[in-house]
Amino acid sequence: MDRNYHIFSDGRIERSEDTVRLETIDGEKKHIPVEHAEAIYLHGQIDYNTRLMSFLNDHGVAVHVFGWNDRYAGSLMPERGQTSGRTVVEQVRAYDDPERRQTIAASFVRGSIHNMRTNVTYYNSRDYDLGRVLEDLDDAVSRIDSTKDISELMGVEATARRAYYRTFDTVLPDSFSFDSREYNPPPNPVNALISFGNSLVYANCVSAIRATALDPAISYLHEPGERRYSLSLDIADLFKPVLTDRLLFRLVNRRQISRDDFRNEVGSCLLNEAGRTTFLKEFEQTLERTVEHPELNRKVSYQYLLRLEAYKLKKHLLTGEPYEPFKRWW
Amino acid sequence: MYVIVVYDMEADRTHLMLKLCRRYLIHVQNSVLEGEISEGDLTTMKGKIDDLLQEGESVVIYELSSDKLLNRSVYGDDPTEDSRFL
Repeated sequence: MDRNYHIFSDGRIERSEDTVRLETIDGEKKHIPVEHAEAIYLHGQIDYNTRLMSFLNDHGVAVHVFGWNDRYAGSLMPERGQTSGRTVVEQVRAYDDPERRQTIAASFVRGSIHNMRTNVTYYNSRDYDLGRVLEDLDDAVSRIDSTKDISELMGVEATARRAYYRTFDTVLPDSFSFDSREYNPPPNPVNALISFGNSLVYANCVSAIRATALDPAISYLHEPGERRYSLSLDIADLFKPVLTDRLLFRLVNRRQISRDDFRNEVGSCLLNEAGRTTFLKEFEQTLERTVEHPELNRKVSYQYLLRLEAYKLKKHLLTGEPYEPFKRWW
Repeated sequence: MYVIVVYDMEADRTHLMLKLCRRYLIHVQNSVLEGEISEGDLTTMKGKIDDLLQEGESVVIYELSSDKLLNRSVYGDDPTEDSRFL
């Protein structure tokens, strides 16, 4: 599986010797093996030119830009290799048919609650008493089928997520208090970690959707807004508990991330450079981790699971084969 | 799979091999590259290497099915360390 490359330094990336070269401000030169790159994530201040863009385009490498406060600022995607009018038409049809849209959206909610639940179950079996939360999550699942419209479904999802976030203060040490989910900007370290992790999940889903002919702006659970790839939000929700949250618990509980890894400003708290590097390193390792896939009968990486999700959705839209959301099975 | 590539080229042609291999692997020392590579890419790379070679030059590729089989000790700076975080 191709890898993500993250550039934190300031400097310039360019095409050189048929591959990508980074020249940092200090004049250091480093090469990125282009044949092995899935996407390049820019976290620093980087210059580049159109010659590089066409080169990356030829190799199908995406560039994701992170701006001020680690916020996702946008992507430069390679030209669509996959275009299929039929897929987009079917995608819109499914969106426009309230019943079909409801079914797909319900699958997303069912999947994400299931994945939250596996996290809670895991910590419940290890010294923490989280029975109440498990009940609340089960309660939310049982209400999915009786919801009549998307807003009601969103309500169920929100209730489940609130219950789920309650476990954070139990599982995390006292020095990392969470209180509640807030962003723009995140007020404390736990929120900062969730925000950073989720933006990475989101960007990876954008890449995964792009590998199919699906239009990333037409979504089912989230309302297709403007300026956002809302389908990516739908899919990212399934993976946040697996990719972001478990990693966060592990890093904090094993003290790989401490309070020194953050910089506090008035009303906001963000990871500093050391913290971001630690988090990203572990995040990338998680993406590369593999599990045995029961249907494919082979090992697949977590990153590939994102792509499988896009394939499954596309298949459902084109053939009507029921869409089974990703549910952590291991 | 994980491969180590070492090459021996005419002095004025070494840059050609470096340029070719850098697209797939990480340059660790003069005439030595290593890294994770897919089987497909490896086949492509082998073909290109073969095309490039002239008489008296050679390339040796060591293949491992996974980097887990490799006991790798480095003294001094490790050029492959954090090669994805630049």
